[in-house]
Amino acid sequence: MKEKYSLGKLWEKFWETTIQVHRDKATGMLEFELNELENLFVVLIFGSFIGLPSPPAAMAMELLPYLEDELRVMVSRADLAQDPLGAVMGMLNVD
Amino acid sequence: MHMKKVAFFLGKGGVGKTTLSSATAYYLSRKGKKILIVSLDPAHNLGDVFGKKLSNKRTPLAVNLDGIEVDLSEWITRYLKESREEILATYRYNTTINLDSYMNIMKYTPGTEEYAVLWAIEYVVKEYGKVYDRIIFDTPPTALTLRFLAMPTITMVWVRELLNMREKVLKKRQTILSLNPEAHVIRGASSVEEDRIYGKLSGIQKRLSSLHQLFKKDSYLTVIINPDTLSLAEALRIRHELEKLDVHIDSVCFNKAPSDGACGEDVKENFNRFPIFTSVNVPSGLKTLEDLVKVEIPELAEDMERS
Repeated sequence: MKEKYSLGKLWEKFWETTIQVHRDKATGMLEFELNELENLFVVLIFGSFIGLPSPPAAMAMELLPYLEDELRVMVSRADLAQDPLGAVMGMLNVD
Repeated sequence: MHMKKVAFFLGKGGVGKTTLSSATAYYLSRKGKKILIVSLDPAHNLGDVFGKKLSNKRTPLAVNLDGIEVDLSEWITRYLKESREEILATYRYNTTINLDSYMNIMKYTPGTEEYAVLWAIEYVVKEYGKVYDRIIFDTPPTALTLRFLAMPTITMVWVRELLNMREKVLKKRQTILSLNPEAHVIRGASSVEEDRIYGKLSGIQKRLSSLHQLFKKDSYLTVIINPDTLSLAEALRIRHELEKLDVHIDSVCFNKAPSDGACGEDVKENFNRFPIFTSVNVPSGLKTLEDLVKVEIPELAEDMERS
């Protein structure tokens, strides 16, 4: 039997989605900061690849097994590096 | 009384580190102490002194005396193999990484050798510290020795900074999660207890700090000098560099002294705060194990015993 949507349920769903959209917007800047921090963390560890002072490579090696997600952030940040202004504008919702 | 269980013989290449460390180890073993002598020098000649082939495993050299020649390349290979297996076990996309070629490059990366020496020392002290009365290390030439002695201090600065940064990352994750529990940006853990990277870094910090303590408090360090300007200059450099790391030498050995046993004035002047032990060359040379008894190290060995 086709489920009947009551007006109350629809309103509830609409309200939930609206709140989530606002939550996402509210934390957007924090998430951007988090990405930057995670990126910086990996860059610090593997800085020697781009000529930055870095901890002993062997120590970086010990951390490497646990850095999969952070490495992915670093690569995506490197992609954004071509268009940093675009990234900021996107985050601020400027079209 | 606190006893320094570990001893390091330092000095310029060719001053007699292997001879004096072997003679000290032999002297103490003859006095009934159970001694392990370990060569960290990649160009080993400890085995030659005792006329035996040594390896990473303990070999009996005399009554109460065993020896090891640390094979650094084996340590590096073992260490890289462990990392490789860990990566393969944890990475989801491991098939796309050409790990083997990366591992081969790592073998020749600056810093890897010093790291391997550190873990070798840690292993030896942990594994055999309780079995022997004393562990004596014959060190590689100064450059490598200073680098591995400095490694815990330098790396700890990095680890501290990385831990601080990791804490910031985790705090930020917590803040985002409290505002927006469904935030898609949160991938890993958000508390220090759950975060594997934080755990690993804390583990590294703990190991490095205990190694620093080993060098600083539980090791007897003696620097060997010959009657020449170069070895004295290098001994001064060793003392100076170690003091920067808050590691202090315990004594000085004036080896290959003139036959009247006189110690050079410049050595006395520069090391007046430290006990100086003089050792004259064995005239007939060192040909057999028993010739080690002729090396004048009893005073040094007794000072070591008192430490």
